[in-house]
Amino acid sequence: MPDDGRIERAIARALGPRGRMSRRSFLRQSGRGALIAGSALTLQSILAACGIRPGGSTAASPGGPAASDATGALEWANWPLYIDIDDDGNYPSLVAFTEQTGVEVNYTEAIGDNADFFGTIRQDLQAGNPTGWDVITPGGWVIERMARLGFLEELDHSQLPNWTANAADYAKGLWFDPENKYSLWWQGGITGIAYDPELTGREITTFDDLLDPAFAEVAGAFSDMRDMFGLTLLSLGVEPENATVDDVTRARDKLLEANARNQFRGYYGNEYYDALAAGDLAISVAWSGDITQMQLNDNENVRFVVPADGGMRWNDNFAIPKGAARIGGAHELLNYYYGVDGATTLSEYIGYFTPVDGVQEEILARAQAYRDEGSTDDADYNEILAPTVVPTEEQLANTFNDKQLTEEEEAEWNDLWLEVSS
Amino acid sequence: MGRRRLTPYLLLLPGGLWLLVFFAIPMAIMLSVSLQKGSLDTGYQLTWNFGIYPAVIGEFWEQFVRSAVYALTTTALAMLIGYPMAYTIAFHGGRLKTALLFVVILPFFVSFVIRTLNWRMVLSDNGIVFGTLKDAGMLDQSFHFLATPASVIFGLTYNFLPFMILPLYVALEKIDRRLIEAATDLYASRLQAFWRITFTLSLPGVVAGSLLTFIPAIGDFINAEVIGAGSPQVQMIGNIIQFKYINANDYPAAAALSFVLVIGVTILVAAYSRAVGTERLTT
Repeated sequence: MPDDGRIERAIARALGPRGRMSRRSFLRQSGRGALIAGSALTLQSILAACGIRPGGSTAASPGGPAASDATGALEWANWPLYIDIDDDGNYPSLVAFTEQTGVEVNYTEAIGDNADFFGTIRQDLQAGNPTGWDVITPGGWVIERMARLGFLEELDHSQLPNWTANAADYAKGLWFDPENKYSLWWQGGITGIAYDPELTGREITTFDDLLDPAFAEVAGAFSDMRDMFGLTLLSLGVEPENATVDDVTRARDKLLEANARNQFRGYYGNEYYDALAAGDLAISVAWSGDITQMQLNDNENVRFVVPADGGMRWNDNFAIPKGAARIGGAHELLNYYYGVDGATTLSEYIGYFTPVDGVQEEILARAQAYRDEGSTDDADYNEILAPTVVPTEEQLANTFNDKQLTEEEEAEWNDLWLEVSS
Repeated sequence: MGRRRLTPYLLLLPGGLWLLVFFAIPMAIMLSVSLQKGSLDTGYQLTWNFGIYPAVIGEFWEQFVRSAVYALTTTALAMLIGYPMAYTIAFHGGRLKTALLFVVILPFFVSFVIRTLNWRMVLSDNGIVFGTLKDAGMLDQSFHFLATPASVIFGLTYNFLPFMILPLYVALEKIDRRLIEAATDLYASRLQAFWRITFTLSLPGVVAGSLLTFIPAIGDFINAEVIGAGSPQVQMIGNIIQFKYINANDYPAAAALSFVLVIGVTILVAAYSRAVGTERLTT
């Protein structure tokens, strides 16, 4: 027997803003549509593939770039919704960077998908032409492949004192670039499981919990092959880095079994976020940084867990493509984001793992400053955010890297994945 | 004299060039890509690998059939909804005609993708529609619509409905009302008059509308991805082609699938035009 209150609540729920509408959540929500549109359809990448650069925004500045650099703004290709942005559409951390260094930056959300982005710059690199980008921030396996093919400029660490001073241990010497010769960590996170305990009715600890028939049609999966096979392999006791095609075939079978009973409502891209926040999904594969944002802005019930059998670890990386015209300015940019101040401004907005020691403390210090000013909301926000910007020991111990796939393996894995997802 | 004989060809030139540059050449490139082998690292070589065609059809026939079924259902639904709307606007719109037509195309002022995304919000399990019905006890709590085949067909129908209404309207608008009057004067019932005069004369609109709905619908991948949540139950051939191109970088298979789709649609459309008889429609 529904009472009137429930109907009213339902209408409010449907029409009203989701959760507390802070300045940040408003920006984030209005931005999210663009994110989904951008990455689900990879419009940006389609445009990029056609040789048409999607529009970016330029931070105006006095002064000029380093002497050896070409004139014009530093060209930075990044993923959508991966930087701080204010009400006027400016990027505060970049504005501060330009004020400090005189280097203008043309920031463009040009990466919708690792493979696809690499595809758009590969031909130029192979022909020895500049790509037009001075700084790019793709995932680990792209760095490995580009370094192997000689497509990246070596970093000059003498120009990166902040990295030497502040880089966190977990952000250094990763498998795809053990000496950080070509790349520095930009931001990172974990792929694990998120759930709403009210809807699941129980605590979730493993990947197999996601496959519990009780959650048929309210469980969400990812459309990303590496994330999904990674988690499934871990649940079979196989570390993804050592997985053979046979192992992946078993992972496929396990997921097909789940498909047979309609376990997964869908194989989502970024839009799993809305389905989970709205309660359409009780449980889903999820990215850690998203769930931090969800708790703060959209649905405080939802929890993130690294499955007991293991989660997937990932990060995106600064790198300078071969032939970049503004290598000096690029180093200044990298160095700037390893300064505590710039890194904190960034982390206050995007909530992924920062590679910079001291950011957590600075977020808390700023919380105190907000409280002193009387901005209680902002102070609370920062206090909840602070513990999530650095991975815990436990999270680090139980998360695993992608396998470095050969082209042949990648084709085989993709074929197996297509059987699961279509 | 020679000049006059050349005129038709000169007039065809812009359209012909358009077809060559934007249809014939891309199709040839696609055909060539589909017959190549290789990888991103090593590059692609033309190996005349015709075997890829039976291979992709064998592997993805289910998605081809599903796309055709969805597109046909969409076309039928759009016709059922669109015909009465176009009829009403054309025959009873009066002074509001322009305003009503404007309302039909109004959704085009917002991007196709944004509108589809918004439907996902409206149709979510506890959203304004189903949440309200559930709270009123009219639906089971576990009911969901998104990520079902019906929801994808809904999305397709919504998105392509104006493409059905506009040509129908144009065809209905220009029907000479005196013909209907004459039919009723000659003792045709209103139904007979509609069927033998109005409907028959509106056939060009019916054909144009169904082609404009069916062709984009069969290749669509947005609705299956956004409203269908990428569920394996609703994957259309467009989703497979997208995955092959963008995620798997399997350009030959993607090109082969696209080519099969183009040929398949051409055959279906040719059969349809033949059945309806296009020669009658151009008058």
